[in-house]
Order: sequence, then C-alpha cells, then structure tokens
Amino acid sequence: MRNWLIGLGGLLAGLVMGFAILWAIGIRPFGTPTFHGITVQSPERAANFTLTTAGGQKVSLKQFRGKVILLYFGYTFCPDVCPATMTELKQAVNALGRDADKIQVLMISVDPLRDTPEKVDEYVKHFHPSFIGLGGTEDEILAATTPLGIFYEKHDGTPNSGYLVDHTATVTVIDKDGYIRLVYPFDTPGEDMAADLRILIKE
Amino acid sequence: MSHQLAAQAERNRIDNTRFFMIWARLFSYLLLLVGVGIFAFVTIQPVTVLPRITLAPGYLLTNQNGERVTSEALRGQIVLYNFTYSRCREGCSQTSQVMAEVARRLQTVDSGDIPVHFVTISVDSDYDTPEVLAAYARQLDAGNAGVAWDFLTGAENRVRWVVGGGFGVYYKQGDGQSIKLDPAFMLVDGSGLLRAEYRTAVPDVDVILRDINFLIEEAQNSDGPARFAYEAAHLFACYPR
Repeated sequence: MRNWLIGLGGLLAGLVMGFAILWAIGIRPFGTPTFHGITVQSPERAANFTLTTAGGQKVSLKQFRGKVILLYFGYTFCPDVCPATMTELKQAVNALGRDADKIQVLMISVDPLRDTPEKVDEYVKHFHPSFIGLGGTEDEILAATTPLGIFYEKHDGTPNSGYLVDHTATVTVIDKDGYIRLVYPFDTPGEDMAADLRILIKE
Repeated sequence: MSHQLAAQAERNRIDNTRFFMIWARLFSYLLLLVGVGIFAFVTIQPVTVLPRITLAPGYLLTNQNGERVTSEALRGQIVLYNFTYSRCREGCSQTSQVMAEVARRLQTVDSGDIPVHFVTISVDSDYDTPEVLAAYARQLDAGNAGVAWDFLTGAENRVRWVVGGGFGVYYKQGDGQSIKLDPAFMLVDGSGLLRAEYRTAVPDVDVILRDINFLIEEAQNSDGPARFAYEAAHLFACYPR
C-alpha cells in the first residue's frame, strides 16, 4: 500500500513538473499550433489598401478586421491556376462548416483592363457565395500587391485566349487583428488550409 | 471454485494496476524529458535563425542590360538589396560601396548550391535608364563582384511602391538632382520573406555576412529532420543577439 502511494506521488509530481515546464515556455501539449503554410511573424499589421466592390463602393482591407482573411490575386480569364486555387479555397470554406462565416476569401483582379469589379465578383461567387471579388486601378492594385510580395505582368497569349497575366499564385492569410500570418504556395490542399484556419479562428 | 476465480480476478486486477502504473510513470518521465529538452533548446539555442519579418515586396523592374527582373525570378535565392541613384554624390550615402565590400568578403563564404544575389534599386526613375545604370555598374566593377548583381529601374509609381511601400524606405525628391534617401539594406530569403533590415549607411559588414550565413545554413537544412530543429528555433525565437 505504501509503495503504491509513493508510486502515485512520483507519477503526479512527474506529470505536474512536465506540464509546468511545457506551460512555462509557452508550449501547450494539447493543440500546439503547427501550420501547413509558410509562417510569417510580422511585427506590423499588413499595409492597408483600398479597392472597389461590385456595387461600386470603396472597401479597404481594414474593414474586414475581426475575420481571418484569405487573399488571392488572379484574373477571370486565367486559364488554369486561378480556378484550381479557387476550388481549393472553396473546399477549405466547406470543411470549416459552421465556422465558415469567421473567414473571408477575397480575390483581387490583376487585370484591370478586362476585369471590372462586377466581373470578378460574379466569377468568385461561382465558387462560393461568400467569396468577394474586388478590382481597382493600376495604382490601387500595386498598393495591394507589392507589400504582399505579389508580382504580375501582362504578356501575349494566343489569339483565342487573348493576352495572359503572369502573377504570383500564392494565397496570403491575414489574421483577425490584421497581421500577415501564413502564405500558401500554389497547390496547397483546401483541407490543410482549413486545419490552419481553425487555429487562427480560435485565437 | 468460486473462491479460486475470485483470487484470480484479484491477481488480474493487481497486474492491471501495476501495468498501468509502469506505463503512466514512463509517460510522465518522457514528458519530463521533453520538457527539459525544450528548456535546454531554448536556453542553449543550438540553432539560430533570423526572424521572418514580413513578406518582401513583389515587383517587375528592368535591369542595367534592359532585361526584365521580377521578384518571382529571384525565388530560391538569397537577395541583398540596397537603394540609391546614379547621381548620388556628396552628402548622399554610398550604400553601393558597402554592397561591393560585402561582395568582396563573400568570396570567402562557401554558399554551396544556394545562390546569393545582389540587387540595387534606383529611386531616380527619370534619369536612371538601363544605360545609365550600366555605366554606374561599371564604375563599381559589379561585373567582377563575384556575385550576380542587378541594378533595377522602372516606372516611378512602381519604384515608389516597391521601395517606399514594400521595403518601407523613405525617399523624396530634393532640390535639383538630389534625392533625400534614407540608407538601408534588406536581406530577403528564398521564399520571398524579409529576414533582416539594416537601416544605416554604415552597417557592420561582419553582421551582414553572418546573417547571409544563417540563411545559407537554414536553406541547406530545409529538408529532413533538421527542418524541425529550425522550425523549433523559429517558434522559440532563437534569434541572433
């Protein structure tokens, strides 16, 4: 009986100490965040930018604070990369279920000549009704793309496709407080994004 | 008979308890070991990393040979940036000289298969055409610097977004040919993340070389189990002091 008590005491002491050390240095053994995307530890909030909605209103990044924002830059004539990414984003939102209203997917057109804000918005709503499409002038688009490491360039396509726009195909995740947190390379599965988003929603 | 069964059941119960105790104890020791291990990692910091400060700007500009250069094309390379203009004379920080000095000292560093690239961005779009920048590069003997070194120029609004908006480096057109420009050097990794900024005209070249080395080591260990040590170093903010 005494041995048993000593054993139990040792066990409890070990457990308490183990957890205490983990806790003290900021590790939560249950649900430690490990993200799929490239993590960014930005000490400053993402630079604000202002674009135009389908309704013709000006909207800025700041106005979405409180939601986890997924930013994607593309264009509606985009032959393959954009639809593939939008499909993954749709799957991420669907995987979140009831939490889907705590995130906001924004697609910003890098083809201001052909894409009006209405066109982009209509395009993204094919993928999910909650998605928002935005457009802007060249200067407004540069203000949004440059600080987020997004490059884009118009170049010739075939007569059928018209010109094409090369662009960085990453998805940028901005948290509820406006900080850049994650970058997803092209081809990141929607389920992986959803797993990360669940953590960011709870913060 | 029932007596024997009861005794057997009692023995089983004791065995089960003992079995549970052994594993529970092992588990708690393991947890303790993990705790001590992490504590040691944080205290000793066997792996040092540079912070992932933020995303470096994306751009499309033109170099001294008239070729287009994009941030995307420099992915996978470690890039050191500075900002200047060819008419930068007295009273203007000669940051390109520091770049040349880093390039010279970089010859002694073995970067393995991780390419290191230098980029100088001109903030004088009107005057600094590719031809002017080619002459400026020749003055610096950039062709023999031992590293790929691009001198970029582009439309005024694009440069403003990259240098001012993206890198957060202040500059303003002054009287005549002069431009008021805050001296700065920026170190960007292969994923397009800003990893170090040196906002001074006279940075410690040793520190820049040390930081380039940190990025080379991290890139070389980006596969396999060593990657976890590096991610842990990021998680616990094991930054150079």
